[in-house]
Amino acid sequence: MSAVDISGVSKVFNTGTQALSDVDLTVGDGEFVSLIGPSGCGKSTLLRLIADLIEPSTGTVTVAGKPAGQARREQAYGLAFQQAGLFEWRTVRKNVELPLELRGIGKAERKARAEEMLTLVGLADFAGHYPGQLSGGMQQRVAIARALAVQPPLLLMDEPFGALDEMTRERLQSELLSICAKTGTSTVFVTHSISEAVFLSDRVVVMSARPGRITASIEVELPSRDDAGRQSPAFFDKITEVRKALRG
Amino acid sequence: MRRALAILAGLIVAVALWEGYKAVGSPDGTVLFGVRILPRADDLSMPHLWTVAQRLGRPELAGGDPVWLVVLRACLFTLGITAAGFVAGAVVGLLLAMAMQRFRIVERGLLPYVILSQTVPLVALAPLVAGWGGSIMPAWATVAVIAAYLAFFPIAVGMLRGLQSPSASGAELMRSYAAGWWRTLVKLRFPAALPYLFPALRLAGAAAVVGAVVGEISTGTRGGIGRLIIEYSREATSDPAKVYTAMLGAALLGLLVAGAVSLLEVPLMRHRRHVEVVTL
Repeated sequence: MSAVDISGVSKVFNTGTQALSDVDLTVGDGEFVSLIGPSGCGKSTLLRLIADLIEPSTGTVTVAGKPAGQARREQAYGLAFQQAGLFEWRTVRKNVELPLELRGIGKAERKARAEEMLTLVGLADFAGHYPGQLSGGMQQRVAIARALAVQPPLLLMDEPFGALDEMTRERLQSELLSICAKTGTSTVFVTHSISEAVFLSDRVVVMSARPGRITASIEVELPSRDDAGRQSPAFFDKITEVRKALRG
Repeated sequence: MRRALAILAGLIVAVALWEGYKAVGSPDGTVLFGVRILPRADDLSMPHLWTVAQRLGRPELAGGDPVWLVVLRACLFTLGITAAGFVAGAVVGLLLAMAMQRFRIVERGLLPYVILSQTVPLVALAPLVAGWGGSIMPAWATVAVIAAYLAFFPIAVGMLRGLQSPSASGAELMRSYAAGWWRTLVKLRFPAALPYLFPALRLAGAAAVVGAVVGEISTGTRGGIGRLIIEYSREATSDPAKVYTAMLGAALLGLLVAGAVSLLEVPLMRHRRHVEVVTL
């Protein structure tokens, strides 16, 4: 069974804008897929369709074998945006606990689970801090911990590292990969950075604008996903391939 | 400690301004082109502050209670009315804000009337409300209704803004957790609205005091500070310091209400006190 199955999906907004046209996409279990394309190509719209934050005009979206709406109600995915979007009145631990609270999980288990997730993102010592006390990179890690808190089989991320500096960004990319490997989570990752897409993904899906559609799907095999991998010829070859696909 | 000093310094400046103007100002006021731009500085219009203080200690009428006791009792009476009006206004304001946030059509339909409500002169409204006294509610409650009428407005407007303050991504996040309107309200919108709520509560507190004082006067309710101001001002020519004692009482009332709101704010806004940023 695939993590995400999108078939024949189009989206026309009320304003008449055709955001997506006849999109088919399958994300396998444990697969890391990046969506890349120029702004306005509908990659965020596609992510929101998977998350059932908006509904497709035509076509069907299936998450883990269930309709997207049911998957959302069962919290079958975790969500992270470009802005960490932490609740500033809650401590870091309470922020991570939020999705668990809404699931009706008991206090002791919530605390244990939140602390486990914070350890995973390396912020166990900051559980009692407020978001306002943390740097942007740390806030984004808390947001990732929050998305992972319900241990969803699927992670949806919309340019989560877009607002961070290059150094922090590369470090968080490596951390994200090791977390996904550890938890076996499938991921759909929206980005507009070619190198980020190539480094992270098993597959890079290239989209074009007006109307948004998928123009290429590029499998990526790197010798390793670390600093050595970033230097490898395969990495640069794939970057060139994606760039060509983007230029059409 | 520094706050206490600041408050003391503020008091000293106020006293210095009053007495300073009294010392240099013209007793007949300064008139320019037939308009009095500066008030009279004579003892009848601006009694010395120590005269006011002395007046507080002397009996209201020969053989009666000292003025400070009378003023204090009137303050307590009005404080009760203010509190009732404030709470009622806050509840109405919150409910209106919630309804307007929930239904866009309610916001469109209701908000203009909420704003319009404050442009209706209070004096025109008071006799209508006063008519309810003694029949469907006790007389003091009609004054509380007027106080509530003024107090609900800043809360409705401020709270609506606060409830609408969370970003679209915050709302999307709650939707992704399958949280409905009520849980989104409790977990996201209410906490996010607090920074908007407290300034609104301060305004509402001040409005409730004004409403109670003016309400007492226009409905003719006895026993409160508003009534006392009117009674004492009738004696202004023979006993000018007396009316200022009542005004001091009204000012004290305002301070009390503002203080109460601040006390409410401290435990709810804990996260605001942390500022220094850790980097890792």
